[in-house]
Order: sequence, then C-alpha cells, then structure tokens
Amino acid sequence: MRVRFDEQLALLNKELIAMGASCEEAIAAAAKALTSGDPEMAEKVPLIDSEIDEKEREIESLCLKLLLQQQPVARDLRQISAALKMITDMERIGDQAADIAEIVGFLGGRTGAECAAIGDMARAVVRMMTDSVDAFVKKDLDLAQSVIDCDDNVDELFTQVKSSLITLITNDPSEGEYALDLLMIAKYFERIGDHAVNIGEWVVFSVTGVHKGENEL
Amino acid sequence: MTKKIFRSIFLVSLIVILACMAAASAFLYSYFSEIQQDQLQAELTLASQGVESDGENYLNALNITDYRITWVGADGTVLYDNEANPDEMENHLDRPEVQEALSTGSGSGVRTSSTLSERTYYLAHLLSDGTILRLSYSTESVFALLGGMWYAIVIVLIIAVVLSLALAKRLAKSIIRPLNQLDLDHPLENDSYEELTPLLTRLIQQHRQIDHQLEELHDRQTEFSAVTDNMSEGLILLGSDGSILSINRAAMKVFGTDGNCVGKDMLTVDRSRQVQELLHQAMSGEHSETILSKDGREYQLNASPIVNDGKLGGVALLAFDITEKAMMERQRREFSANVSHELKTPLHSIMGSAELIENGLVKADDMPRFVSRIRSEATRLVTLIDDIIRLSQLDEGIEMPKEQVDLMAISREAVEALSPLASEKDVEVSVTGGHSYISGVRRLLYEIVFNLCENAIKYNKDGGKVDINISKNTLTVTDTGIGIPPEHQSRVFERFYRVDKSHSRETGGTGLGLSIVKHAVLYHGAEIKMESHVGDGTKISVIFPEQDDK
Repeated sequence: MRVRFDEQLALLNKELIAMGASCEEAIAAAAKALTSGDPEMAEKVPLIDSEIDEKEREIESLCLKLLLQQQPVARDLRQISAALKMITDMERIGDQAADIAEIVGFLGGRTGAECAAIGDMARAVVRMMTDSVDAFVKKDLDLAQSVIDCDDNVDELFTQVKSSLITLITNDPSEGEYALDLLMIAKYFERIGDHAVNIGEWVVFSVTGVHKGENEL
Repeated sequence: MTKKIFRSIFLVSLIVILACMAAASAFLYSYFSEIQQDQLQAELTLASQGVESDGENYLNALNITDYRITWVGADGTVLYDNEANPDEMENHLDRPEVQEALSTGSGSGVRTSSTLSERTYYLAHLLSDGTILRLSYSTESVFALLGGMWYAIVIVLIIAVVLSLALAKRLAKSIIRPLNQLDLDHPLENDSYEELTPLLTRLIQQHRQIDHQLEELHDRQTEFSAVTDNMSEGLILLGSDGSILSINRAAMKVFGTDGNCVGKDMLTVDRSRQVQELLHQAMSGEHSETILSKDGREYQLNASPIVNDGKLGGVALLAFDITEKAMMERQRREFSANVSHELKTPLHSIMGSAELIENGLVKADDMPRFVSRIRSEATRLVTLIDDIIRLSQLDEGIEMPKEQVDLMAISREAVEALSPLASEKDVEVSVTGGHSYISGVRRLLYEIVFNLCENAIKYNKDGGKVDINISKNTLTVTDTGIGIPPEHQSRVFERFYRVDKSHSRETGGTGLGLSIVKHAVLYHGAEIKMESHVGDGTKISVIFPEQDDK
C-alpha cells in the first residue's frame, strides 16, 4: 500500500517538475520574443501555455485521487496540498506568459530597447522561475528564500520601467500606445515574479510545514 | 504458532472428553438398567404370589408408585392398573410381552417413546388362573440423560479451552525460545533442535554464496565506476522509469549535479525540453541525439535504448563536450572568410592605383607615390602570404630540424631587428636574464620572440617600456602598453582576431602574429600564459618544457 503511495508521490513530484520546466520555457520564450522581437518565439508561447493547462488538470486529479484514496497525513499531506497550490500559480504564470507573447505581437518587431529596465525585468523573472523550480527539485530552502527576496528587486525594476515610460511619452506623445503595451508587459512580468514567490513559499511550506507569515501571528 | 498448538490440544481434549463420556454413559446405563430389571423381576415374582393368593385386594392394598402394575385378563381386558382407569384401557392381548407370557409363562419387552426421551421396560407373568400380571417401569433414555448433564458438559469444555490455551501458549513459547535465540550470523555454532541442522547448514551455504556475490558485485561496481569515472565523456544509465541508475563524474560535471541524484528521476537533474524529448524518444526504442548548450559549452547528447530480451531495460545517455570542435569549425569558417578578405584588400589598392596609371590619370609628379603604394601593398601581401604559409606549415606539423638555441641570442637579434620600430614609437626595449639553451627550431623560436616583442612595441604607449626576461626555460615579455580587455584575452591567439578592429590598418600587421606564436609554442610542447590589465600592460610568458641534459 505504502509502496504504491510512494510511487504516486514520486509521480506527482515528476509531473510538478515537468510543469515547472514548461513554465520556465514559456517565460523564457516570452522574454526572448520581447527582447529579440522574434514573432516565431511569440507564437510558441500559447502552445506551451495549453500544455501547462493540461498538466494542471492532470496534476489536480492526481492530487485529489491521492487525498481520497490514501488519506495522507503530516508531510505527505503538506506535499500534496502544496502541490495543489503550486499548480495554480504555475497555471497563472503560463497564462501571463501567453499574454506577454500576444502583446509582443502588437509591438511590430520593436523590442522595448527604449526602456532597458524591462529587459532586466525579463531576465530577473526568468531567473526567479528557474530558481523556484530548482528550489522545489532540491528542496532547497535557501534558494526558495532567495526567490522570495528577489521579488523586491523586480518591484524596483517595475518602478524604473514606469518612470522611463513616462519620459518616453512626454518626449513623444505619439509613442503612447507603444509605451502602454510595454507597461502591460512589465506588469505581467511583475505578476509572474509574484507567482514565482508564491511557489517559493509553498516549497518552504512543504519542507518545513510553516507557511509565510504564520510565525508572525 | 500458539493458535495451531491450541487448536490441536483443544481438539485432542475434546475428543478424549467425548469418548470418555460416551464410554462411561454406555457402561453405566446398561449396568443400572440391568439392576433395575433384576429388581423388577423380583417385584413381579412377589406381586404374582400376592395376586395368586389375594387377588385384586392385594393389588389395591399395594401402594406402589415406582412401578406400573397392570393386571390383564386371559382375554386381554385390563382388570387393574395402578396408574390409569382400567375401563378406559384398550385390549392388551396383542402386546408382545403379553403374548410371550401367554405362550411361555413369562415375557418381557422394551419400548422407546416417540421422543426417544423415555424407555419403558415391561415384564409379564402368567398366573395360574390364566391372567397375566405385568410390571413396567420407565426410565430416561441415554440421550435424555446426557441432555440433563449439559451444564456440566459446558463447564468441562470451558475448562478444557482455558487449559488448552494456557498450555498452548506455554508450549509455543518454549518451542520458539531456542529458535529466537538462534545466532543466524553463525548458524553452526548454535545448540538447538537437531531437526534444524539441515536448515542451518543450508543457511551457512547461502551466507557464503551471498558474501561471494556481494564481493563480486562490489568488484564489478568498482571496476565499472573506475572505467566510467575516468571517461572524459559523460555517461548516465537510466532505468526504464527514467530514474538514474548510475552517473559518472564527467556527467555530473556536465549537468552540475552530485552523486546524490542516483535513484532520483532524470527530471531532477535536467528538465529542459530537449533532454526530455531525447529521452522520450530513446524510451520508445529509438537511438537519438541532440546538441545541448549549457553554461556556455556545447554538448552532444546521444541516447540509446538498452534492450534486454526484447524489453526496454533502460537508456544509456552519453554526453560529449563538443565546444572545442564547434569552435574550431567556426574558426575554420572565419579563417577562410578572413583570408580572402585580407588578401583582397591590398589587391584592390594595387589594382586601383595600377588602373589610374594605366588610364594616364596620374600626373608625372604623383607617379612615385602611386608606385610606392603599389609596392608597399604588394609587400604587405607578400608578408601576409608568408605568414599564412608559415601557419599552414605549422598546421601540417612538418618535422623541422631541431638544434640547441640560445634564447638570449635570439631575443637580442629580434630586438635589434625591431629597433627602428621601437625608436619610432619611442619605446625602450630591454633584455634581461641569462643565457638559456633550448632544443628547438631556430626559426620558430625567433618567430615567437619577434612577434611577442613586435606586439609589445606596437600596442604600447609612447615612451613605454618592454622587457624581455629569460630565466631557465621561461621567456617573459612584459610591456607597459594598452593591455587586452578580459573578454578578448582568450581570443587574441585566433587567426585574424583583433581587439580593436578599426585600429588594425594603423598599426599594420596581419592579425596572424599571435596565432603563429601559439602554434610555434605548441610545436615546442611549451605553454603560454597571459596576464593583462587594460591600461597597465600585458605580460606574456612562454614556459618551455624542462630540458633533459644530454
């Protein structure tokens, strides 16, 4: 019985890593599409997104099956409930990457070079996502914490993007639409960063059993 | 064990109890009924005498409740009965005991009631007047007797159960104790049941076998890891479920992991789509390969399925580092492009000037300038072709005669040859250190010193310094020049590579100097080291292998 359960937990772990890898790929492709203005890259993202959605449903049903059939306790329960929460974040990340790719399509090959911070944001968020999945794979608390800390960095970059876009519009009002598109992209990146932080927090929870803010209460 | 013993003990006691009961009741029952029949016979004899003498009066006076007395007339009508009204009773002539008495003088009979719970014994006696006196008594049958004893039986059974349980427990414990105390690591040193000896002997045989196999396995494992760990290619063996069975050191380096990943899924080591697809394909039984870029290096990954008896046993994943190969490929392509470009530039200049002269567009005064340009470009072309020839000679690896060469003498020679250039740039060149004899090709060694020194002067600041130091087998050229930025340091030895691409025309040179140096150094089996800081200068050391004194 336990052997079968362990097998299923291992499967859950595998599926989660695969889903995380897909998310990484989606963001990386979206970021590449933006920085290189490559429309082919942008077209790849929605495909990956639908893959991520499918994975979410699979993992969800696996988690529910485990909860029902094995009635896990303690660490196992934590792992499964954390997985259930994590896939929600991952699914949102996939959606937002697809949204970014869609907007990149409207930019007409422009790469946002006018606003250096947006490229930095893209790189930082891709890094965060990779780290959060790595933290999950290695159950590495320090790495998870570094992802959580990195969010301030991304928020800071978002403020920079905002002010440089304001300058862009002030200098040339005809750039308004372009600037707004860039702002949307930056906002999506910022949201993805938040989701990566959530994943980091769930990794911490699944290892230690303490979710953020719990010890402050 | 306890359960089994209990069951057999209980079964035995149950059978014994039942058998005893059956035997005792059968014996006692027959004994008592015999006594009773004797009594009945005696009573009947007495009663018969009484009736013969006193008739019915005797019977009426007789107050007996133990027996039933029936007096039957010769025609079978009941004359008297002490338990029922004789008038209501039927004719008794057909009763077997009556019939028997009529014919033989006395008769007996036994009848069991319909419920089996009662047995009635009858004795009849023919009186002298032809009437028959019958005595009967009823007794409970064996079954009824046993039925009456049920509570006693239940108590005995409960006692049997409890006793059997306690005994079984004790017995099981005492049987098991020596077994539990068996020292399985040393089976033959045990002093326990003799019946166990074959088992223990077998055990010791298996012990030996397992030890042997473990040792063999360990040897093989060590052998395997010794072989794989010293491979420069990364090797990962995966089980059919995608878990890592074995990973060698090179593969750990490629994927940036450690030995802890053994037993985990390959996903935890690398989750890139490329690798997953590669493995997926291999899992479906096809050989597949891909090129993976990781941490700035390129790896070729080959995945082949391991098939055992037609079933997929796993996947072997090989990783080759092809960074150098890919780079060389790129360099070769760049070289051809560069060579044609570099050769074409002076030719264009020559052709242009020649065309102008041919069409008579050059004034007589300008003629020397044009001619000298043609000459200098042609010289440049010759130098370039010379350099390329030298390089390709080095590439070909043609054996050249070796001799003992004094590095100091060569350095002096080179400095002498470069002195016009040095004075032009106002660079002070010094040669320090002592004589050092190296076995090598004189021309190539000169090439090394000359090119290094030339670069040191050319890329120096005005009024800078160059020092050539020779100590033992090391030649060091230090300058106070502009330095090489770190990102270019690894590439300056490539052919036609220039740090400042726009600068090249100004300083002249073919871009092949350092490339020639590198090849000449390699030819001598020496090593080249570079230290450079932008603005501070560059220090290049050539370390020749230790010379064996012959």
